[in-house]
Amino acid sequence: MSAYSALTAAGYRAQVRDKTTVFFTFAFPLIFLVVFGLVFRGRSVEESGFSYLSYTAAGVLSWGVANAAVFGIGFTLMQWRSDDILRMIRLSPAPLTAVIGSRYVLALGVGLVQSVLFVGVAMLPGFDLVPDSRWPLLIPVLILGITTFLLLGVIIGSIADTPESVAGIANFLMLPMAFLSGSFFPLDAMPDWLQKVSMVLPLRYLNDGVSAALTGRGDLSDIGWGSLGLVAFAVVFGAVAARTFRWTKSS
Amino acid sequence: MSSPSPTTDHGAQPAVVVDNVTKNYGSRRAVDGVSLDIRRGEFFGLLGPNGAGKSTLVEIMEGLRRADSGSVTVFGEPTWPRNTGLLPRMGVQTQSSAFFVRQTVHEHLRTVAALFGTDRAAVDRTLEAVGLGDKHDVRVDDLSGGQRQRLAIASALVHGPELIFLDEPTAALDTEGRRDLWEVLRGLKAAGRTIVYTTHHLDEAEALCDRVGILVDGRLVVTDEPQNLIGNSGATSRLLVPLGRIDEEQAAGLPGVEDVAVQGGHLVLQTRATGRVLAALDPLTGLDGVQTRTPSLEDVYLELTARPQSPLASNNQEQS
Repeated sequence: MSAYSALTAAGYRAQVRDKTTVFFTFAFPLIFLVVFGLVFRGRSVEESGFSYLSYTAAGVLSWGVANAAVFGIGFTLMQWRSDDILRMIRLSPAPLTAVIGSRYVLALGVGLVQSVLFVGVAMLPGFDLVPDSRWPLLIPVLILGITTFLLLGVIIGSIADTPESVAGIANFLMLPMAFLSGSFFPLDAMPDWLQKVSMVLPLRYLNDGVSAALTGRGDLSDIGWGSLGLVAFAVVFGAVAARTFRWTKSS
Repeated sequence: MSSPSPTTDHGAQPAVVVDNVTKNYGSRRAVDGVSLDIRRGEFFGLLGPNGAGKSTLVEIMEGLRRADSGSVTVFGEPTWPRNTGLLPRMGVQTQSSAFFVRQTVHEHLRTVAALFGTDRAAVDRTLEAVGLGDKHDVRVDDLSGGQRQRLAIASALVHGPELIFLDEPTAALDTEGRRDLWEVLRGLKAAGRTIVYTTHHLDEAEALCDRVGILVDGRLVVTDEPQNLIGNSGATSRLLVPLGRIDEEQAAGLPGVEDVAVQGGHLVLQTRATGRVLAALDPLTGLDGVQTRTPSLEDVYLELTARPQSPLASNNQEQS
């Protein structure tokens, strides 16, 4: 068995045996969906003709997937370094790509289950989401989104040395970003300058891509620009992650 | 007693060559110009008080840290930067915390084995060897301290490395567990493996090591076989003679006796010439009940590591 598949198998076992985390990873976006669904029931966004839910469903889904990717690898890297597991891997011939690659596959799996569950619930009567015919494009967009936010998580997991600091840094970045990128309410409702600020946030591009693919808001070029934006952020995060990664506590 | 070492190959290239290695942490010099060759098949003990630089030196040998100056080679190859060609030939005992979470003993070791590209049969063999053969399905979080330590040692051995680094491997073990592990270590040595280990148990170092090095304040003050160290140290042996056999004055007059004291129910004679004193005692009192206490590695160690500026140093050492 290769180092990559062994680490993936161990990661999978650790994940499914931690029932509480599994539950909240998948329930968290659903709770937001239900809350927003109740708050904005039946309302539509001015002039656009799209229901409020179609905005928030795409936004909450992309935020939920991004959040899980950031937190998952952030906590794992911090914990593995703190427990000297990374030190042990460093002293084996296994490449770093096996470590990150195994976490990447697990993150993609989590993202897939999250998306299926979320879209499935959003289509139930009461929420009434009708996926656009472009919905298969959701798959590449979400894969790009998970890649970008996983690399952000690598940076956080390399800087932070305690669970508290992982949570602190990740929340500090992800919560304001959710509001400023239009995950929780439409960007159109925000002042112009705030809409411009959102252009430097990676979640904005994931939101754009996901809403164009899932709810049909915007066109194919929105998916293209969204994907390009995510690729650009992935390159930047990847470069920073390569510089900040640490195998041991003392190095 | 140190066992003879038929497997030590004096002629071949050494397993580890440390050449004039220095490492500073800020203004503190952790390792100060250490040079050391460890031969293939040798069981080498690195001793020294806490904070003497043992861990830093070992981590430099393992290639985990870069020396500020000097060089380290293992089997003729540099260990820094990360040398993935060399790493499979080395095994490093992990911390007892370094277990993959929510895995069983077998799952954990299987994952470690896969990191080295080693097969499953080696996992069963290694667990058997360290005495965890009946614990395959126990979660690592449920192991006792001693069991965790065995699993950490198994993590170093599972891929069959030629050079093994062990960091206080018997620290969390009870007496029985310690003796069991001695047998595992002797077996590894008999199989031709080179072992570098740090310990605070001087009796253990004396029993297992071909050679020991004593590190004080970052400097290697001595490297030798334990028996040579004891023989050359000038430490005295003590002969315990039951009281009433011979009086103090008479004892002090025996050839070779340097000092006499009463301790408990015995007269204690200090000497560097045990044979001569025993020969003189025999016609006077007979040797029934006379006990001999030879100096141990611990005596030599305490002498070498004693710091004149802080006479309490040896009592104040904290266990890290």
